[in-house]
Amino acid sequence: MVISQEEHLKELSKDYRFDWKDESHSVFEPKRGLSKAVVEEISGLKNEPDWMRKRRLKALEHFDARPMPWWGADLSDIDFANIFYFIRSTEKMAANWEDLPEDIKGTWDKLGIPEAEKKYLGGVSAQYESEVVYHKIKKELDDIGVLFTDMDSALRDYPDLVKEHFGTIIPSNDNKFAALNTAVWSGGSFIYVPPGVQVDIPLQAYFRINAENMGQFERTLIIADEGSYVHYVEGCSAPIYSSDSLHSAVVEIKAMKGARVRYTTIQNWSTNVYNLVTKRAAAYEGAVMEWVDGNIGSKVTMKYPSIYLLGQGARGEILSVAFAGKGMHTDAGGKAIHAAPYTTSVINSKSVSKDGGRTGYRGLVRVEPDAHHAKSTVRCDALILDDESRSDTYPYIEVEDETASLGHEATVSKVGDDQLFYLMSRGLSEAEATAMIVNGFIEPITRELPMEYAVELNRLIELQMEGSVG
Amino acid sequence: MTTFDRAALDALPIAPGATGAIRERAFGQFEALPTPSSETEEWRYTDLSDFSLDFVPHMPGHDGGAPAPETGGLAASMIQHNSSVVMTTSGQDLDARGVIFCDLDVAAEKYPHLVEPHLHALVPTDRTRFTALHGAFRTGGTFLYVPADVAVEMPLQTLTYLDADGAAVFPHTLLVAERGAEVTFIDRYASPDLGRGLSDAIVEIVVGDGAHVRYASIQEWGAGVTHLAVQRATVGRDADFRSLAVGFGASLSRAEAETVLAEPGGFSEMLGVFFADDDQHFDHRSVQDHVAPNCTSDLLYKGALRDESRAVFSGWVHVRPGAQKTDAMQTSRNIVLSERAKADAIPNLEIEANDVRCGHAASVGPVEEETLFYLQSRGIPRDEAERLVVTGFFQEVLDRVTLEEVRHGAELAIQEELRRAI
Repeated sequence: MVISQEEHLKELSKDYRFDWKDESHSVFEPKRGLSKAVVEEISGLKNEPDWMRKRRLKALEHFDARPMPWWGADLSDIDFANIFYFIRSTEKMAANWEDLPEDIKGTWDKLGIPEAEKKYLGGVSAQYESEVVYHKIKKELDDIGVLFTDMDSALRDYPDLVKEHFGTIIPSNDNKFAALNTAVWSGGSFIYVPPGVQVDIPLQAYFRINAENMGQFERTLIIADEGSYVHYVEGCSAPIYSSDSLHSAVVEIKAMKGARVRYTTIQNWSTNVYNLVTKRAAAYEGAVMEWVDGNIGSKVTMKYPSIYLLGQGARGEILSVAFAGKGMHTDAGGKAIHAAPYTTSVINSKSVSKDGGRTGYRGLVRVEPDAHHAKSTVRCDALILDDESRSDTYPYIEVEDETASLGHEATVSKVGDDQLFYLMSRGLSEAEATAMIVNGFIEPITRELPMEYAVELNRLIELQMEGSVG
Repeated sequence: MTTFDRAALDALPIAPGATGAIRERAFGQFEALPTPSSETEEWRYTDLSDFSLDFVPHMPGHDGGAPAPETGGLAASMIQHNSSVVMTTSGQDLDARGVIFCDLDVAAEKYPHLVEPHLHALVPTDRTRFTALHGAFRTGGTFLYVPADVAVEMPLQTLTYLDADGAAVFPHTLLVAERGAEVTFIDRYASPDLGRGLSDAIVEIVVGDGAHVRYASIQEWGAGVTHLAVQRATVGRDADFRSLAVGFGASLSRAEAETVLAEPGGFSEMLGVFFADDDQHFDHRSVQDHVAPNCTSDLLYKGALRDESRAVFSGWVHVRPGAQKTDAMQTSRNIVLSERAKADAIPNLEIEANDVRCGHAASVGPVEEETLFYLQSRGIPRDEAERLVVTGFFQEVLDRVTLEEVRHGAELAIQEELRRAI
């Protein structure tokens, strides 16, 4: 069937309410394609120290040398030569929403970020294209030494801290897309929480792509020092275009002795974004690391948040929700590497596919030799809403210590006819009933989200269910 | 290096019927195909890149060369000693009912219309370098054919026995059960401990519409043997296929077992028990491929590991588009008895239909110290307690083997293995 481009766009934008576009705001003429010169230019524009420039160039070599992943989703349509690797939208980062250009500010208003900041956030970072355009942290947090800034500023303001930790959890040659990020990274968050400090209101970053064929490569580094606590929340969206954009982030986290870090993502890119992200955390003695990972949008997602349990008694938890609708392939999951005694991990994955979408859980639980008395449970549940859709489960369990105890369970099912019948006999439409069942299905995960996000996730699911069921 | 060259091929006994052409084609494939690389997903846990194919390509056997197996309770039995089938017993009754049970090469000559459509249809020679090697150098093997609506009540069995150090054998079982037929077949593989040996095995099973086939393989190769096996069955409409794999022997065993649910209403049960010790390496791979709707498959593999052994289970459930009302289950359970043993489990699901019930479960864990303590506190020595725990662990699988002869054979093999190992 041949469909016109307008029809194609209309189809893509169905039920996606973040589909508005601002005028281009680039402060210089952006260029497509990737080369040594582009990497040098990004580094030059940011006035970076020499070690970072060299690191970027080395990473570009790794990127060029590595083959595309042969597993997971189909990435053969990514046209690396057609991507914008760096777009600067404003000359200066604002600490006040009013200082932003009118339509950029309008975008954040529509996303409700300033409103949320007032109500319940400890700090906000707002990235537009390649750079953070607005940034602010509550004064109380600033006063007790919590550092929360964008990565570019951190490299300038805390060079030693950044140099000490940058790329230590995810080396630039870790995988092809981590290498790409290291070469062209821009923006992202830097967080340092001093020993014993409990940041009891979430810090939030929001990532917005506006331009067509944009490549967004944010780089985030979080260090929670001994006995501290922080909850970081990120969200993202983009307008819908007829050709593809690329989002390839790297997130590195260190949860030091006794610290706890919770990292929550609600990913809702438009369905022309390739979302290829490397996220990894190291949890030291007695630390707790939690990934709460909601993947609702994007054309292709390949993302497996990992936890390296490096200290005795460390604990890791990964909660993952994946949704795939028409034309989407969401390959999500998680990894827990037990490298110390008495470490525990829990992975809980829920996926929903409909209208020909494909969801996957891909995971690894590994117990290294001498990581005695490690315990892990993995549970994956998948819901397939129609006969065109698909669900895959690829759980790897590798055990090199006899005292380890690991379990994995998975189920795949459809929405039960009896459940639907019951709800419809109470007067609900089929779409409402299905949305209610799906919301119930992912409830173990939404209840871990901050209230506003849980409501948002449920609303997204309802929107996705509308129209096409029945 | 390899001793499987043109001269060795030309020195083989003449290949009857169509097998000559298969042999030539497979030899070309063997020379062209690379050794499977551990860089690929299929071979990531078994690295054969340094595996030398320096074996005696063909070692004729002789009558009386293999220990006579117990034949009580069997309808018929066959012995292959090294590369040759040396003995077949077949009851008059079976012949009269049209059941064929004989050397595969004899069958290729006498019953080409029955053999040719099926030989290497389920496991093509170009699947891997090793299946190509098998296609080129196989002699002997088992052909079992059961005509429509014939029920053979007692099991049939083939023992493949290898006792020539440095030799290769290519066991092949081709089992064809026509519509409504019923049969049980047991493959046994055995050898003394050898310096080196290669068992490159293929099992092809066609379960016709409404047929009932039970298949058991009991692998007791000695140390030194590398066992590379591919078993593939296709299940017809409303047919059922029940298989049991018992694996104890060989230094390295890589066994693939695949069932294709090709027509509606099919049923497949795949059971496995294995015990690994010393530095044994077991790589078990399974496929439950649901092509047709309304089929059921259930897989349960249980393994116990000791010493420095390593075992990998990777299973796949595929539900193809349109295979609605599929009910598929896949379970892998492992107990680890010593601290240097390693166990991996990868139970995969790929599901492209929505009205299905699919699940999988995998676990790896130690023997509960409390259980052993309890038994020891009742005066049972630790070794005996360990044997009891492992026996109990395997019993869940054996309890599901309905045929007494098969279950009893497996239980005896397990007891013998545990006495030897613990």
